[in-house]
Amino acid sequence: MDLKKTIRTLKRELDAMTAIQTFIAYAFLLVFLIAPLVLMVGQAFVYQGGTSFRWFVDLLSSPEYVSFTSRGGRLFEVRRGVMYLWGHDYGILLNSLLVAFFVTVFCSIIGVVAAMLMGRYRFPGKGIFRVLLLIPLLATPFVNAYIIGKLFNPRGGLINYLLVDLLHILPWRLDIDGLVGVILAQTLSYYPIIFLNVLASLNNIDPSVEEMAENLGARGLRLFRTITLPLFLPGLAAGAIIVFIFSLEDLGAPIGFTGARANPLSRKLVSYQVYSSFAEALTGSFSPKIAALAVIILFIAVAGFLIIRRYVNLRTYAMLSKGGRWSPRLRTPSVKTRVAIILSLLFLVTLASMPQIGTVILATSNWAISGTLPTKATGQYLGTLISDSDVTRAIVNSLLYSGAAVVITVLVGASIAYVVARRDIPGRSVLDILATIPVAVPGIALAVGYFLLFSSKMFRGSILDPLLDPALLMVFAYSIRRLPFTTRAVSAGLAQVDKSLEESSMNLGADRPTTFFKVVLPLIIGHILGGAILSFVYSMSEVSTSVTLGALREDRVPITFFISQIVYGVAAVGSVSIGAALCVLLMAVQITAMAISNYILKQKVAFLGV
Amino acid sequence: MVKVELKGVTKRFGDVLAAGDVSLQIEDGEFFTFLGPSGCGKTTTMRMIAGLEYPDEGRVFFDGEDVTNLPSFRRNTGMVFQNYALWPHMKVFENVAYGLRIRKVDGAGLKKRVDDALELVHLGGMGDRFPSQLSGGQQQRVALARVMVINPSVLLLDEPLSNLDAKLRVEMREEIKELQRELGITTIYVTHDQEEAMAVSDRVAIQNHGVIRQVGTPSEIYSFPRDVFIATFIGRGAILEGIASLSDGGPRVDLGGFTVDGVDTASAVGDGDRAACVMRPESFSVTEPGEPSNRLDGVVEWSSFIGPYREVKFNVGGTTLLVDVPPETETPVGGSLTVYIPVRRTIVLPWDEVK
Ligand SMILES: Nc1ncnc2c1ncn2[C@@H]1O[C@H](COP(=O)(O)OP(=O)(O)OP(=O)(O)O)[C@@H](O)[C@H]1O
Ligand SMILES: [Mg+2]
Repeated sequence: MDLKKTIRTLKRELDAMTAIQTFIAYAFLLVFLIAPLVLMVGQAFVYQGGTSFRWFVDLLSSPEYVSFTSRGGRLFEVRRGVMYLWGHDYGILLNSLLVAFFVTVFCSIIGVVAAMLMGRYRFPGKGIFRVLLLIPLLATPFVNAYIIGKLFNPRGGLINYLLVDLLHILPWRLDIDGLVGVILAQTLSYYPIIFLNVLASLNNIDPSVEEMAENLGARGLRLFRTITLPLFLPGLAAGAIIVFIFSLEDLGAPIGFTGARANPLSRKLVSYQVYSSFAEALTGSFSPKIAALAVIILFIAVAGFLIIRRYVNLRTYAMLSKGGRWSPRLRTPSVKTRVAIILSLLFLVTLASMPQIGTVILATSNWAISGTLPTKATGQYLGTLISDSDVTRAIVNSLLYSGAAVVITVLVGASIAYVVARRDIPGRSVLDILATIPVAVPGIALAVGYFLLFSSKMFRGSILDPLLDPALLMVFAYSIRRLPFTTRAVSAGLAQVDKSLEESSMNLGADRPTTFFKVVLPLIIGHILGGAILSFVYSMSEVSTSVTLGALREDRVPITFFISQIVYGVAAVGSVSIGAALCVLLMAVQITAMAISNYILKQKVAFLGV
Repeated sequence: MVKVELKGVTKRFGDVLAAGDVSLQIEDGEFFTFLGPSGCGKTTTMRMIAGLEYPDEGRVFFDGEDVTNLPSFRRNTGMVFQNYALWPHMKVFENVAYGLRIRKVDGAGLKKRVDDALELVHLGGMGDRFPSQLSGGQQQRVALARVMVINPSVLLLDEPLSNLDAKLRVEMREEIKELQRELGITTIYVTHDQEEAMAVSDRVAIQNHGVIRQVGTPSEIYSFPRDVFIATFIGRGAILEGIASLSDGGPRVDLGGFTVDGVDTASAVGDGDRAACVMRPESFSVTEPGEPSNRLDGVVEWSSFIGPYREVKFNVGGTTLLVDVPPETETPVGGSLTVYIPVRRTIVLPWDEVK
């Protein structure tokens, strides 16, 4: 009876269109997400033909990966007038976790403070700060870390020149490098993720909830601790886990710092290890030990993500409010406090947008070779974007890959969003999770999985074989990695389209496909375009799979790979300023995209968070 | 136009019974209304007729043909949604033309039919507007025109007036009724407003917790409620609890301070049973009627002038009743008053705690 009913339901719900949508979604996720990762996990357990934990035991017991005593490094050490801030080497795996931990903590502190200031106080210039605080979201991969390394160089770094030589504020020069450098670079680029999440939660708190507590006598810190904090904690948790994962998989900072300073400590990270092993991969073999390393961070990231997602779902308090005022509580503090607020935000914004400002300066002047300050403006580097055929090819490649990825991710993402929101078929919650999980899958793990699967016997010699041509794989990697953006954007659109709009169409005789194309699609097209633009932007600046799979064939390299080679100092074109010029191009694309989706599509697509 | 039949239709959402073994026949051309408190399953029952929801058990027939598993777009029903569900991205004309385009009507024929439909609901010349540029009442008419234009075999209206203000509600319900009479279309109507249901329907079905409690014409249901739930849900007045004793004339109920004779409309009250006694305020008169009646002597507790009548709270032997008397009647608080109620208007039902 129940089986019969299930079959009947399935027959009704699974009309041709739903069947195709579901099939495409599952097939795509299976081939380009699940299979590669499963194969990678499998490989990590292969030892001398059998199954074994050998590689994991190896990794966890070798001091090179896990060490409880420092294997070198300097922290707060002053020598000959220089204070060294490098951090200590506790083994590659622990380093990665420690870096990710500190980045998350620092981002949380900065993000929460900034959100509290922006969300609870009135002060002059707030509108400008709202924009300035988001500057770090403009991706300038590799170059950002390079610039921080350059600014904090004890020999001629601008910051040291200002603080020590010019203003005599500090008694010694600062040398920020190694793991501390990575932490600084990542903190400055990731804090907006937490800032935005917390700010959104803060704005979502019904003011009367806080007023009620004050009315009952709670004030200041107590109010914050008992009411405000618990209410924005889910937002904080959602942002924090993303920052943790991003830090864990980041390649930009280690490669950028290596390029700036060549301190080996900045390379003692899991992401870098996996990355560098792709050099051997060119020969067609891949060490299972590296697969095991990738599996470990994949596991940590996905587990962390799922746990937080659960917690956030459980704790997203619906704000029930009947009437009353519904504008956030804004206080106007004393003049002194206002000045303090503005100064501290100014400090943060200046520090955090150094990479972006520096990138522009680097791209338009001779700063790369002039020492402390640039001495001459030049358009020659921006000129190479069109004159140098290698550079142009990288740009064209990136545009093509990202364009193709957007088409795929929109088709799949829109299908998934529609099926999950509207069709009652078994397994749709699985689909929902699968479409979200790529946020948590470290790009380098995906790259390893792709390499293992598609260079295997099954695909050898096919158009998907990365050793033959990695272009298609990059397209699929981009579309998988950006799938959560489109799916969420379309879901948000569908949530605004009342189900009865579709039902009334079917009631008037339109079948499901007709209803979809005539009623649903026109209503969510703005959201679809918004999601598409976002996916495009983030595909253009994608790093992890670009610098790994992209390395496999010279004429297929995308922009980010090209930048990494330049910054690392191994590219033939030479000057890091060309890398900066490419970053300027990326920033321009991002700003244009944001402007289009904000002002033309009127979409404020929330793009980061669980 | 068709005859709609439900046979043993049952629908559950988890533990909630939204339709419990509903069996009904709705005649060709009839104006049939589902009435019941919020959440009782009216919408669900209607959606199963429209094919937007499928029953767990039972069958749905249109003119004897089993349509239980037919998808909505094959049923040719015209449903007006509670929130109108107008497509915001289409102009009024396109909204109304939609069903015709699906049916491959185009050109001059299409334009004429759409214009006629708009004319029918007094919206001629509004075709160029977007739904957001219309008032609530106008949107409601567009929703109506949109389904009328396809000549549906059944018209389904789910609380079509609930978003309108009181005055417009009365106007629109008269218009709908008028239209229905003119076209003779089988119409199924859902509402939780009893006055609305009474005013427009040929027959009414009262639903509670998914189950149909009574089907009948408005006056049948009003005058002869089958159980306490219906008596409470429809009309005004107190429901009094007492003990019944049976004589040849009919049941007599001891209400504590006094007794009344009544009629057992459900034929379910036994000798010595706990019984409920329903006396509508407007059934009372101050002069003795020319038929068998109960005479009640009591004291005025409170009275208020309503307009066409005066509403009096009336205490008989410790029990309070609500009684309507002619507006000119003198009813000083604390004064004594005698009223009469015909036996055939004194309804005796088996006692039941209303849930
Ligand atoms: N899709 C659904 N999933 C779960 N429960 C549902 C669903 N639709 C309806 N219900 C439940 O079934 C019951 C009947 O719902 P229905 O919408 O038919 O009520 P209704 O009589 O139309 O109420 P109202 O007058 O408030 O519109 C309610 O308890 C409702 O919560
Ligand atoms: Mg309803």
